[in-house]
Amino acid sequence: MKRAPLPVRMLWNAFFWTFERATWQYDLMVIAILAFVWLMPPDWIKDPMAHGTGPIGWLLHHWR
Amino acid sequence: MTFTGLIGTICMFPLRGIIAVCVALRIHPNILTFVGVLINAWAAYKLARGHFIGAGFIMIVANIFDFIDGKVARELGEVSKFGGFWDSVLDRFSDIALFIGLIYLYAHMGRTDYVMVASFAMMFALMTSYTRARAESLIDKCKVGFMERPERIVLLMIGAFTNRMAGVLWVILVLSIFTVADRVLLTYRVLRDQAGAATT
Repeated sequence: MKRAPLPVRMLWNAFFWTFERATWQYDLMVIAILAFVWLMPPDWIKDPMAHGTGPIGWLLHHWR
Repeated sequence: MTFTGLIGTICMFPLRGIIAVCVALRIHPNILTFVGVLINAWAAYKLARGHFIGAGFIMIVANIFDFIDGKVARELGEVSKFGGFWDSVLDRFSDIALFIGLIYLYAHMGRTDYVMVASFAMMFALMTSYTRARAESLIDKCKVGFMERPERIVLLMIGAFTNRMAGVLWVILVLSIFTVADRVLLTYRVLRDQAGAATT
């Protein structure tokens, strides 16, 4: 895996997670998770408790 | 210092005070663990009723107890093998209670799709702990994978406070599957290498 191209190594490291808490890799993962949770429109994942299209839907609406 | 490190440092300030109070009152750490489970059961009830904000606040209180029990045990010199075992067992009850709260809520709403998502998330959350415990009976250490209990609990709180529980459940499910796979893979590799070293 050490000789694989960078994107492959990044994917592998994200899958085979060996980093400690409070490292920059951990921060990056936390940001990615929070982005998914907060930006994903509830309607897209059929959230039973929340509705609307969220920030992404708002952006798409104003983009068109 | 990293962003998550800074948040951890800030959160430690009030926790130090709570730990000091518990040590001064000589509250046994096993009692703190048990109280944490009872409070988590209350949070589960709130989740089941769809009162996410209330559940979020109760989860904070419950997990303060969960977090400080080990530290209080060290300060009081009450660290024991049974304490570690008791903590692990009760943590599983807390985990299951929260998921059952969500499963009840979605079942009550007639949303079988999210009943299944929450059920699978619960299954893999439990398997995350089981694979590590079982692996560490065979190999030295099996601390790989991102989605451990603290991450799971913080995510459930974020889901509760911001009403984004569905997204949180998907994250817990997918990353718990990866974590279980990581632990199986690591254990396989270490045992294979040990077997290889023994034959040469």
